Amino acid sequence: MAQPQSLAATISPAPDSALIVAWQRGEEQAAAELVRRHARALARFLAGAGAPEADLEDLVQDTFIRAFRAVDRFRGQCQFRTWLLTIGGNVLKDHGRRAARHKVVPLSDADAQGLAARDGDPHERAEAGEAEARLAAGVGELPRLQREVFLLRAQQGLEYDEIAAALDTTEGAARVHYHHAVKRLKERLQ
Amino acid sequence: MKDDATFHDAKVHDGARRLGLAAGERLDVERVAAAVVERLRDAPAGATRPAWMQPAWLRIAAAVVVLVGGGLVWRQSGNSVPAHGAHFVTDDLTDLSADQLRDVLSTLDETLNQDSTTLPDGDLEDLDAQQLQAVLRSLEG
Repeated sequence: MAQPQSLAATISPAPDSALIVAWQRGEEQAAAELVRRHARALARFLAGAGAPEADLEDLVQDTFIRAFRAVDRFRGQCQFRTWLLTIGGNVLKDHGRRAARHKVVPLSDADAQGLAARDGDPHERAEAGEAEARLAAGVGELPRLQREVFLLRAQQGLEYDEIAAALDTTEGAARVHYHHAVKRLKERLQ
Repeated sequence: MKDDATFHDAKVHDGARRLGLAAGERLDVERVAAAVVERLRDAPAGATRPAWMQPAWLRIAAAVVVLVGGGLVWRQSGNSVPAHGAHFVTDDLTDLSADQLRDVLSTLDETLNQDSTTLPDGDLEDLDAQQLQAVLRSLEG
């Protein structure tokens, strides 16, 4: 008779909620699977919010550690990823305080290239790269809530109700924050 | 022809979708997963902070220190403690670190033992709420 196997090993893709329960039972591989699923999105979110590239991996790790230790407080009010991203925002804020770094951290050259359109002629690419570098700087200058709402909506593609649940605010307030963020960023690009 | 607002709106949204993309792609996900699991294994949630450092225990310990300290001052000064004495003890406690609080508790532990006050076996750190209340009651006389 076959031995019972771990949830992370046998059920793929298991929903996040099942992996969370498995982790709470002490199954390490469930935690590893959650990291595999969400680490890139979290890294994008943190980088978009101004995390220095050199510290990005540490910040991603710290966010997961904090999330796994607080997972008992996750009540499914939003998706696990959305909850994770908001924890990432807190980790980044704490990191900024500790490091006493400037609010706006310039993106690395590689990031600037990544932001730029990858097709089209060189002149268009250069223009797009410049505009997007300004956008990145502009995002870094937004007030924290506006920045998080903007990134959750525009970068991660989340709905307002999901954003509102994650940030413990109302859907209307989330819409207003997003509107203000876009307005500021458009002004910066003009 | 696109008007300016629409053009910049599109720029903002297109740019946002690509924001951090390169950094995300460069992340070594397997390495992060291994590191997270390792860190969770090395310091499980319950082991990150000793039980006596939990906020509830620190509050209880601080209350014990205030009352015991006040009691000792009261004894030493022949039952005539100035009203502001306890106030100073309270003020000082807010500035103490966890280690300093531990030192104070140890000192008080020794003092109390010398004074033949009945304490359960073990340190104050090991007492539960009921035992601490019993200590407080005994100090109140």
